[in-house]
Amino acid sequence: MSRWAPLVLSVGLVFGSAVPGLALPEDGVTPVDQYTTAKGRNLATTYLPELLRFSENVYHCLPWVGVVKSGIGFRQPKSATADDRYLSVWISIDQADDGTFASFPLDRRVSAMFSRYGVDMLKRMTQLGGVTSDPNVTGFSVILSWLKPDSAKSAQPLTETLALFVDTATLREFLAKQLPAPEFTSRARYEVFEGKQSLGRVPFDIWEDNFNSTFKLKGYELAKGQKC
Amino acid sequence: MRCRVVAATFVFAVMFLTGGCITSEDWDVWRSHNTHFASGEHGLFSLRNNRDGSNPRVYRSDIEDARNQNWWGRYAINVTPEQIYKN
Repeated sequence: MSRWAPLVLSVGLVFGSAVPGLALPEDGVTPVDQYTTAKGRNLATTYLPELLRFSENVYHCLPWVGVVKSGIGFRQPKSATADDRYLSVWISIDQADDGTFASFPLDRRVSAMFSRYGVDMLKRMTQLGGVTSDPNVTGFSVILSWLKPDSAKSAQPLTETLALFVDTATLREFLAKQLPAPEFTSRARYEVFEGKQSLGRVPFDIWEDNFNSTFKLKGYELAKGQKC
Repeated sequence: MRCRVVAATFVFAVMFLTGGCITSEDWDVWRSHNTHFASGEHGLFSLRNNRDGSNPRVYRSDIEDARNQNWWGRYAINVTPEQIYKN
């Protein structure tokens, strides 16, 4: 028996490791019991299937971004005075930088990230059935986090984060190209952070970017049964 | 005896020469990690893929594990939800 023990142990280790504690798409959606108001809980319960589908879609189709745990939900901005609920997604963006992004000043990095990921996420969220027309949903929100260029080499890496909240009517007009980018950003409530430090309203621009719909990750194998 | 002295000298020479290429930061990283792989998943990923990444086979779970288990480096300081959301 002892002769077989090493083999059994090694097989056990391999198969044990092959079933890891995955961060599944469900983990991306804020659990209903985490809401502190009835309005929040009602929205979370009503739209749970849509939020799960959205989380799953991002998980499988945009593997270069990761939804932060409980990052999808009906949130209130910190400065809110009433129980205004915004459908929000918080994503962390992975990117290999060829040096171009690192050469950008902060406002251009924010512009590039919002143009590429912010607009795309907002568009995807407005397509979730019923949310846009729900009077209990004040608007939409994206929180984008990425590694500050060059800080990976320093003793303490930092992320940069853009947290943006915008009302539904403004977003609709903007996505329908009826509202210029400067007007959109002036109406939106947003803040930029470096690590934990707020840098306030860093002015940023928005341009067309179809990266998420055209980029293919080399060697990435889509899970069976998934379509993008 | 002479053979042992030569072997020991060779080993020390190799250690000295290879150690000379490593920066103090590299040594700090090595000292703070007591295993080569961050996890079993990281080890399996490395077995499945060649070193130069010329023929990668990557699943979504690999990407998630790499993020959660910090395969490639140090943790970055990030803003907290409390700084953005009310609840």
